[in-house]
Amino acid sequence: MEDKITELQNIAKNLRINTFKAITNAGGGHYGGSLSAIEIIAVLYFDIMRTDPANPCDDRRDRLVLSKGHAGPVLYTALAMRGYFPLSDLKDLDKPLSNFPKHVDRLKLKGIDASTGALGQGLSIACGMAISLKQQKKDNFVYVVMGDGELNSGQVWEAAMTASKYGLDNIIAIVDRNELQIDGATDDIMPLEPLKDKWASFGWAVFKADGHDVRSLHSAITESKKVTGKPAIIIAKTVKGCGISFMEGKWQWHSGAIDENQFRQCLAELGDET
Amino acid sequence: MPGRIGGRNIDMKTIDIKKDFKPCAQTYGPVLAALGKENPDIFVVEADLMKASGTRPFMEAYPDRHINVGVAEQNLVGLAAGLAAMDRIPFACTMANFISQRACDQVTISVAFNKFNVKLVGCYAGLSQEKNGATHISIMDIAIMRCLPNMKVVVPSDHAELADVLEFAVKDTGPLYIRMPRVLPEKLFDDSYKFNLNRGFQVKDGIDITLISNGISSSVAVNAIGELKKEGIDAGLIHLPVVKPADESIILAAAAKTGALITIEDHSIYGGLGGLVSEITSKNRSAIVARIGLEDKFGLTANLDFQLDYFGISVENILKVAKEVLNKKQD
Repeated sequence: MEDKITELQNIAKNLRINTFKAITNAGGGHYGGSLSAIEIIAVLYFDIMRTDPANPCDDRRDRLVLSKGHAGPVLYTALAMRGYFPLSDLKDLDKPLSNFPKHVDRLKLKGIDASTGALGQGLSIACGMAISLKQQKKDNFVYVVMGDGELNSGQVWEAAMTASKYGLDNIIAIVDRNELQIDGATDDIMPLEPLKDKWASFGWAVFKADGHDVRSLHSAITESKKVTGKPAIIIAKTVKGCGISFMEGKWQWHSGAIDENQFRQCLAELGDET
Repeated sequence: MPGRIGGRNIDMKTIDIKKDFKPCAQTYGPVLAALGKENPDIFVVEADLMKASGTRPFMEAYPDRHINVGVAEQNLVGLAAGLAAMDRIPFACTMANFISQRACDQVTISVAFNKFNVKLVGCYAGLSQEKNGATHISIMDIAIMRCLPNMKVVVPSDHAELADVLEFAVKDTGPLYIRMPRVLPEKLFDDSYKFNLNRGFQVKDGIDITLISNGISSSVAVNAIGELKKEGIDAGLIHLPVVKPADESIILAAAAKTGALITIEDHSIYGGLGGLVSEITSKNRSAIVARIGLEDKFGLTANLDFQLDYFGISVENILKVAKEVLNKKQD
């Protein structure tokens, strides 16, 4: 297990560096919410999820709905590192007509289960997937990664009620709880707390995790999978812009661009040795 | 030789908007239940309007494939997208105004952009909402759905055609919108007519002018043909159930032949059938186009026959507009 944790920590470190480089190569983008989701995606794709890069459309795979579609660069980079396509393809991020648009597009890239980008829509899609799987008595899981800002959206709570009604214990939702949204702190823009109680009152099993600690995430997801009869959600406490000192905890870095000097500083902070 | 509609001489054919119309739930529910028996991938998704759609028999027969999300149209559409992501065939139904307006972004992104195989059904469409009035009468659902890339848009006119469309929907892949009024006549056309995605139906040829209609308005158009004849106007009639992909050739042929077209729809004249026909004919400026329907107006709290009259979707108004158009044509 310790070896696995160390390996996941290394993967997360490289995922962060590669994601950062991809966004920067594109001329900037959603640094904040991409860097906060690194460990979540790393643990899902390199530890938890049943996926096969050689057979990306395999029916037996677990599904992922990246409801916060603007974190596309993390998912693209994770898929590349898992071997779905060469890492060098990421140079096309945000390029016109490329397979790597800012928000994920399932029709462009095998390995993407749903095109997202309009916030608040992912959990409903996950409900449909999970209902289908249950109806066919299949054991795949459906993972949903949501931003905390998108929890402002009413549709999320419509879907939360539905997942509870149908006992969708094959859904594991993870909230990237970086406590910031575009215009400021989630507490200021639209307070979400008590978030744990909200989800619990909607009939969900609620777990908390340190969203930058792969051990904590591994443990929370593993526990979530044991829940029966109800859906599970993990509120993963994260830091927006995690890993880059001048971005960390700054809502101003929801998206943005950096200059050459900042680029070098960032790489040093991220521990890039290439 | 007189044209023939519904297997009878057109002079004989009239549809009584009250007596001949039956609830579409009587077809939608049973036909889906029958299709669901044959195909284990069909799901029905409802938003607390099973009473309007008539899918209770499906729920009773296949409870594990009948999902009811309550009054939550955005989730209705998103959940259906998720079912389609797993290669299932969901029919998501709620009132036409809600599915096209309340859930517009979910229809756009979760369904159309994803190109998921979701059948969206807008029930109680258009003026058939009757006394529910402006809050419920969809006047822009066709315009909205038409704009969406990947979306097909179908507007059946009778129960037989609705059943054909549902059968077609199961075989077709990709996003599809079916506009289903609360009521339609059982059979408006004779057995020579079969629904075809790529073809409009030339109900009757004419020399002077061509009426183009779908949905409830096709009943009114059928009634108008005989009255036009009495006034010495030889009018053709095209039933155009598929607004997208539209059969442009049948429109252009009618434009070339008669030089005058009248569209009739219980929808805004912006962006629906009238918009479509105007767009097609503008390519070669081949005909005068008059559009009958709602012009910058919301629906009313009133019975269907009152509303149809009020908005000019009536035999009398078609006669009036036809004479105006013919005058213009002669100028």
